[in-house]
Amino acid sequence: MNYKKSNFLIRKVHSLLAIIPMGLFIILHITLNSSVFYGGITAYKTVINVMQNIPLITEAEIIIIAIPIIFHAIYGLWIVYLAKNNVLTYTYYRNWAFYLQRITAVITLIYLLFHVAILRFLNHDASVIISVLNRTLQNPLFFILYVIGVLSAIYHFTNGIFSFLISWGVIVNDKSQKVLQYIVLLLFVLLGGLSVGILGKITYF
Amino acid sequence: MENRHIKLKIKRQDSPDSLPWWEEFCIPYKPNMNIVSVLMEIRKNPVNSKGEKTNPVVWECNCLEEVCGACSMLINGIPKQACASLIDKIYEKTGFEKKIVLEPLKKFPVIRDLTIDRHSMFDNLKRIKAWVSVDGSFAIGRGPRFAEREQKWAYVISRCMTCGCCQEACPNVNPKSNFIGPSAIAQVRLFNTHPIGAMHKEIRLNALMSNGGIQECGNAQNCRKVCPKEIPLTTHIAALNRDTVKYSIWRWFSE
Repeated sequence: MNYKKSNFLIRKVHSLLAIIPMGLFIILHITLNSSVFYGGITAYKTVINVMQNIPLITEAEIIIIAIPIIFHAIYGLWIVYLAKNNVLTYTYYRNWAFYLQRITAVITLIYLLFHVAILRFLNHDASVIISVLNRTLQNPLFFILYVIGVLSAIYHFTNGIFSFLISWGVIVNDKSQKVLQYIVLLLFVLLGGLSVGILGKITYF
Repeated sequence: MENRHIKLKIKRQDSPDSLPWWEEFCIPYKPNMNIVSVLMEIRKNPVNSKGEKTNPVVWECNCLEEVCGACSMLINGIPKQACASLIDKIYEKTGFEKKIVLEPLKKFPVIRDLTIDRHSMFDNLKRIKAWVSVDGSFAIGRGPRFAEREQKWAYVISRCMTCGCCQEACPNVNPKSNFIGPSAIAQVRLFNTHPIGAMHKEIRLNALMSNGGIQECGNAQNCRKVCPKEIPLTTHIAALNRDTVKYSIWRWFSE
């Protein structure tokens, strides 16, 4: 049995990396951004400054964020290509979730490229980042695009938790799969609501 | 009642290599018919709805009680057993005299008309060794007993008739991917639970973790919804995800 040639490990790692560290990073990111509700622009600026001054932040960004995301994105696009979606024939929720997982994957990737290019590479100073974001979001078109990008990322993450727990064999029977389905949907609503709230708050700084 | 009709639209194909085409039929309605009996009416009098003489539609059937899996086809787009698809039940959903569309399953090579070649599924069963090995050169005595608690749910898996409905509905089973599909995965659960079958558990897990194995499942869970034998395929896939993850860690550190 020549199991060394199998993509079993790569698939499992692909799933795991999306939770640790990427999922944890999304939670941290949203939590830090929610500082806009507790002290507005000043608190937000402080948070960005603190983040930028964490020791070894560049190395951490590369190892914990960039490499896992690039791997997940490239291998993920291959997985998107492999599926032959059939949501119009089989209209069950899980089949839609499977399809949405692939659509949000592509939207999130495009969104992330712009997000990182503009707010990480082109601008690095806290007050510049805030003013660029504030001005961009005041344009209704960009606000909607931003909301779509953020909600896609959160749907992909929360639905990904469901797939991760099943593909790693943590959740097995029907009852736990059903409960988990509701938990991840609730998590999507909570994180999504919070993120849209943050975007709204930044728009009206 | 006498002048009511069953209207059918059937996707036809003369040979594995020729192009498919559509033909419509109109059969006098009788109560309590199923798709197989309607196809038999066409065979008795192979005339299409335009009144032209045609070749009778070819299909496969066997048991006529939803246990053999031979008569799988797409009935109004959904994979089902023709024998268990009652015309009156279909009309309850769609309305009387609505055209019924019959197509061969799309994930398998067509042999002719509605007859398909389900060979790939039998090859999958060979790949995962879906049997209990008892052959030897001398009597090895009685095997261990199958606990009743496990018999109860394992029996449900043994109802699988390799009909192909789950393969048909799975978005990850397609010509681009080499995914083994839900049916064979459930059989691994059955034979790895069987006390004698469990003696070759690792061979089946290894097969399931090779290229195109269980890792290709994307959790669309259509398989579970379309299974005519109501096998909880998604539970068995999840359970084997656990077994294969555990086994892969064990294999890494201890083998």
